[in-house]
Amino acid sequence: MRPSRWLGLLAVVLALAPFALPPFFLQLLTEIAIVGLFATAFNLLMGFGGMVSFGHAAYFALGAYAPALLVKRAGLPMLLALPAAPLVAAAGALFFGFFIVRLSHTYFAMLSLAFAQIVFTVIFKWKALTGGDDGLLDVWPPALLKSPAAYYYFTLAIVALSLAALHAIVASPFGYALRSVRENPRRARFIGINVRRHQLVAFVISGAFSGVAGGLFAFYNGSVFPDFAYFTKSFEPLVVALLGGVQSFFGPLTGAFGFKILEWLVSRQWPVYWPLFLGIIVVLVIVVLPQGFVGLAGGRRLWSRLTSKA
Amino acid sequence: MVPADQQSLILETVGLRKRFGGVLAVNGVDLSVPPGDIRAIIGPNGAGKTTLFNLITGDLAHDTGRIRFEGEEVSGLQPHQLCRRGMGRTFQITSIFRRLTALENVQTALIAHHRRHFNLLARAGRLYRDDAAGLLDRVGLLEQARKPSGILAHGDQRRLELAIALAGAPRLLLLDEPTAGMAPRERHEIMALVARIAADTGLTIVFTEHDMDVVFAVARRITVLHQGSVLADGPPAAVRANADVQRVYLGQRAAP
Repeated sequence: MRPSRWLGLLAVVLALAPFALPPFFLQLLTEIAIVGLFATAFNLLMGFGGMVSFGHAAYFALGAYAPALLVKRAGLPMLLALPAAPLVAAAGALFFGFFIVRLSHTYFAMLSLAFAQIVFTVIFKWKALTGGDDGLLDVWPPALLKSPAAYYYFTLAIVALSLAALHAIVASPFGYALRSVRENPRRARFIGINVRRHQLVAFVISGAFSGVAGGLFAFYNGSVFPDFAYFTKSFEPLVVALLGGVQSFFGPLTGAFGFKILEWLVSRQWPVYWPLFLGIIVVLVIVVLPQGFVGLAGGRRLWSRLTSKA
Repeated sequence: MVPADQQSLILETVGLRKRFGGVLAVNGVDLSVPPGDIRAIIGPNGAGKTTLFNLITGDLAHDTGRIRFEGEEVSGLQPHQLCRRGMGRTFQITSIFRRLTALENVQTALIAHHRRHFNLLARAGRLYRDDAAGLLDRVGLLEQARKPSGILAHGDQRRLELAIALAGAPRLLLLDEPTAGMAPRERHEIMALVARIAADTGLTIVFTEHDMDVVFAVARRITVLHQGSVLADGPPAAVRANADVQRVYLGQRAAP
């Protein structure tokens, strides 16, 4: 089947899910969609731009806190507050990214991590505004969207639109130039590309869509907490993208599905051991499936990899 | 103001100097290249050829001296700015976008040349396909257009880099050892191709090269660098006859 057919089939299955699945699974699917968007936004940098951020929790958290604060402190309804998520996250990504893209590789990763820790600390310490460690509670969507099925459809629509936009960006002239920057910055400069500016624009786009994921999660969760910005949250899109496959646009989405389903299956039986399982799975994927879960699509290659003696 | 006799130069360096720690890699180089020239810059390893290239193209900042491109001072400009002004280059170590196909390599260069690389909406795969195919055809790579460029043969990758550089429609093209790692026959082929393109388009070429047969076959004028300074400069016959050049460089091979 062609990819467009698969997408069509997936859309039908997802649209019918609320008629077949209990609310718990709709919530799981909602989370998968949010994490999938977060990881896909992250992978615009990693897979297509060759930039590994260790601090994307910052933009997820900015995207979660911005609408939550507007709802709690300014009394705005959710639908008016939510557009603040990508805007504030993009502004944060523009400010931090200005410094981060000046560095490369490990230094890029470490500075992005440092800025995310600053965001975490500010949220944690600024009790008067953010509630500090207690977070902001009762951040719920309006009655119309409150049921698991309604919020599931709402999330699905926003995530689908966001993914369509990201997919178009990857295939756009901007996306081609971004891949050329990933492949060879020196050559990219000498076809006339301002490499840092290109990286910064990619960083802002990635931050904005991470913010969308954060905003959706805030109202799904009904509350926001400082650990949305903590470094462990920054590693979530990294692990999810690696599991699914960073070379492919839909890799991170696939990774989010696998990650969340496995987490649910394992945690339900042995909640304490989930990190151990996750570690083993990550090692297995890196060794056996360097292209991630999407590499399974070429099933025969996997089989020959597993059975080859070399 | 630029004196009248210099206005016609496409590239000029005056007293260009670059020090790396205790080494004067480029030590007061004066270079004058008129439009349409095919200029070879030769010299033993470590003579400063690649450093000179990197100074001219903005990859390195020089310590003192001036660089003029088409009569304008361009010292301090970034590579992408020089590229947009009409300077193109290839690198000593093949520099392409390895995980893109040959066609995508050239398409991306054309997108950047037409300043559309911040366009987020268009479908890049459909842009400049014919132009890109034409450039690949020009360097003899049309058959390989759909292959990831990283798997092409070494000589084909160097041809691809030439096509990438040509996509920017440069008026000055700097080629840093364009035939490095090629067999002798292929070297002559690719330099003949470069000379043909230069003749057709009025492009000015500055290149470095170790193969003296290639240099004397295509260069209109030769500049010899030695220990960071210009040792000799002139038409091929004059350079070949120059006693200093024979002593430090051509010596062993030029002996009858």
